[in-house]
Amino acid sequence: MRKMLFLATTILAAALYSAFANAEQKEVTVWSWFVQSTMEKSIAAFEKAHPDIKVKYTYYNYSPEYITALKAAAASGSLPDVIGLQPGSLTQQYRENLEAVNERAAKQWGDKWAEKIFPVNRKQMLMGNPKGDENYYIIPQESQVLCIWYNRKIFEKLNLSPPKTYADLKAAAKALTDGGYIPMFQGAADGWQNENVFLMLANQFSPGIVDKAQAGESPWTAPELVAAMKAWKGLFDDGIFQQGALGAHAYPTGAQLFAQGKVGMMALGSWWMQESKFPPPLSEFVQNMEGFDFFYMPPVKDGNSASPPVGGIDIGYGLTKNGGKNPEAWTFLAEFTNGVGLQEALNDLNDLPAFDGNAPKGDITDHVKDMSARFMADLPKAENQRFASPAVAEALDNALAGVAAGSTEPEAALAAVQAASEKALAAK
Amino acid sequence: MRAGTAVQAAKRRSASKASTVYLFALPATLLFVVFIAYPILWVAGESLYTGTADGRAVFAGFANYTTILSDPTFWIVVRNMVLWGIITIPVQMLIGGLLAYFIERHTHALRGFFRTMFFLPVVTSVSVISLVWVQIYAPYYGIAQEYLKHVGIVMMTSPIGDPKTAIYALIVVNIWQWTGFSMLMYIAGIANLPSEVLDAARIDGARGWRLGVHVIVPMLSPATKSLLLLGVIGTLQTFPIVHLMTGGGPNRASEVFGTFIFKQSFVLGDTASGAALSVIVLVIALVLSLVQIALLGARLSPAGKDEP
Repeated sequence: MRKMLFLATTILAAALYSAFANAEQKEVTVWSWFVQSTMEKSIAAFEKAHPDIKVKYTYYNYSPEYITALKAAAASGSLPDVIGLQPGSLTQQYRENLEAVNERAAKQWGDKWAEKIFPVNRKQMLMGNPKGDENYYIIPQESQVLCIWYNRKIFEKLNLSPPKTYADLKAAAKALTDGGYIPMFQGAADGWQNENVFLMLANQFSPGIVDKAQAGESPWTAPELVAAMKAWKGLFDDGIFQQGALGAHAYPTGAQLFAQGKVGMMALGSWWMQESKFPPPLSEFVQNMEGFDFFYMPPVKDGNSASPPVGGIDIGYGLTKNGGKNPEAWTFLAEFTNGVGLQEALNDLNDLPAFDGNAPKGDITDHVKDMSARFMADLPKAENQRFASPAVAEALDNALAGVAAGSTEPEAALAAVQAASEKALAAK
Repeated sequence: MRAGTAVQAAKRRSASKASTVYLFALPATLLFVVFIAYPILWVAGESLYTGTADGRAVFAGFANYTTILSDPTFWIVVRNMVLWGIITIPVQMLIGGLLAYFIERHTHALRGFFRTMFFLPVVTSVSVISLVWVQIYAPYYGIAQEYLKHVGIVMMTSPIGDPKTAIYALIVVNIWQWTGFSMLMYIAGIANLPSEVLDAARIDGARGWRLGVHVIVPMLSPATKSLLLLGVIGTLQTFPIVHLMTGGGPNRASEVFGTFIFKQSFVLGDTASGAALSVIVLVIALVLSLVQIALLGARLSPAGKDEP
C-alpha cells in the first residue's frame, strides 16, 4: 500500500512538473516548404538564443500540400503564427489573414529598416498591394539571382569557355551534345523554370519591360517581348535545350543529372550552391561546388547585352493574425529573417540574404565565397523576377509552353497574356 | 381492456424499436452530414459568389458557371476526360480480365507471385510511378530510349511534352497502374463462379473461346459493371498522375477536372470558379452513376450473388 502511494505521488509530481515546465515555455507555430534540414538548424539556433520559446515547425511540399493546407487553415481561422510566403500573388491571397509588419519592424531594426533590404526585394514586398496600401505583409528571408550554371570540369574537358555570344552558346551546346552530354537542361514542364529563362531574355531586350507590362504601362505584345518569345523558341530549335525538354522537370530529374555531371548547363539560380551542403555522398562536381560556376545568358541578338541579373525574394515569411496575438511569434520572425536563424540558413548556403550586411560563415571554400560575392554584388541591381498576378503568370506559362511546342505563334501567345493582364488589372 | 393494453404495449415496443434503429443510424448519418452533405452545400453556395479586390464576397448568381462554360480550357478538359474514360476503362478491363483468367486457370505454384506482381503498381506511390514514367518517356537520356536505341529508334520528343500526345501518354501510365485492380476484381469473380455451371457447360461441349465468351464473361458481368462504375468515378477524380507528370500542360493540353479545379482554386486563388467547377463535376458524376445504375442494374458485387 505504501509502495502504491509512493508511486502515485511520484507520477503526480512528474505530471505537475511537466505541466509547469510546458507552461513556462511559450510556443511559436510555423509552416513552410523551406528545406527541412536547414530549417532545423535555424530553429535550433533560435531556441538556443531564446530558451523560453519552443518552435513547432511543420514542413510541407509546396504544391499541392502547402498551398492547399494554407487555404484550408485560412478558411477555418487556424493558420499558424508564422507562414512561409512568396511575394506577389501568394502573399496577396492571404493579405487579409496577415498582420502589417511595418511598426514591429521599425521597433526591431529602426525607422530605416526597409533600406537594409535590397531594392528588388523591397519592390516585391509591395507587389499586388491595393493602391495606397504601403504596408508590408511579408518579411523576406532570402534572395536569389537567376543565372546559367555550367559544369566547368566538362567545359574544360571539351575546351569550352563560358559563352559570350549566342554563337558561342550554340557551339557549346553542339560540342556538349557531340560529347554525349545534355547541353542545357530545361525542365520545361515546370512553368517556373520557363518564366525564369524568359525573364532573362526579355530583360536583355529591354530591362524592366516585364514589370512595365505587368503594370499595364507597356503591352505584352511589345516588339521587345515578341523578340524575346522568338528567342525562347530558338533555344529549343537551335539545340540549346535538350530534346524533349517540354516533358522534363527541373527537380528532381534535371538537378540530379546536373549534379551527376551528365549536363553541361542549366538555368537555375544562386540557390544551386546549397547542393554542396546536402548530406553525403556528393558527386565530385557538387563537393564544394568544385564542378560549377555561372554566367548570365549571352546576347541572343546582335546589339543586345548579356542578360542583366534577374531575381529577388527566394522566400519570405508573414505574421498571421493569430501570430499577431503571440508576442514570441514576432521574436522568431525577426531572428529568422535577420538574426541567428538567418545566419544558420546562410551558413548552409541555402541562398543569399534579403537584408544587406549578412554573409555566410564557417566551412566554405574560396571558390564558393567568390561566387557568393559575385551574386551579392549583382543583387542590388537585379531586375524583378516575380509576378503580381497568378493569372498573368499562368497565362505566360501557357504561352511559353505553346510557343515551345510550336502550337502557338509568339504574337498570338503574348496576346493571350495581354488579355489575362488586362483582366487582372481591371479586377484590381 | 386487455386487448387495448396489448395493442398499446405493441405500439410502445414498435416505437422503441424504431428509435433504436434510428439511434444506430445516427453515427453514420452524422458523419455523412458533417463530411459529405455540408461540404457539398458549402461549395455549392460558394459557387454563387465572387470575390472583390477588397476581399468581400458578392452574390454573382450563375456568373461563375457561365464563365467556366465559356472558357476554352473547360472543353479541352471535357475532351480529355472523355478520352480518358473511353480508353482506360475498357483497356483495363480487357487486360485485367485476361490476366485474371490466365493466372487463375493456367498458373498453380506461382499464382500468388503473379497476382502480387500485377497488383504491385496499384499499391505503389503515385509520386514514384510519376517519377519513373517521366524518366521512361524522356528522350535522349530516358529509360525507353536506352532500349529503343538498340533497334535504331531515336525518340525526338517526350510524349508528355507534345500537346498532341500528352494525354495519351498519361492514359498509358494510368492503365499500367490500375490494370492490377481490374485483375483483382475478376479474380474474385472467377473464384466465385459456380463449378457445377462450368462443368455442365463443358459436358455440353463448351471449350476454350466458347466457354470463355458465352459462359465465363456473362457470369462475370457483376464485376464488369462494378469496374465500369468505379472507372467512370475514377476518371472524374483523376489528379495526381497528371499533376505530377505534366501539371496539365503543355499549354493545358493534358488538363483534367482535378488539375483544373486545383489551379483555379489554389494557384489562381479563384475559389468561386473552382467551386463552380466542382459542382459541375459532381453533377456529371451523379448523372453518369444514375444512368449506369438504371441501365446496368445495381448488382455490382464481384461475386454477383443476390442478398439472402
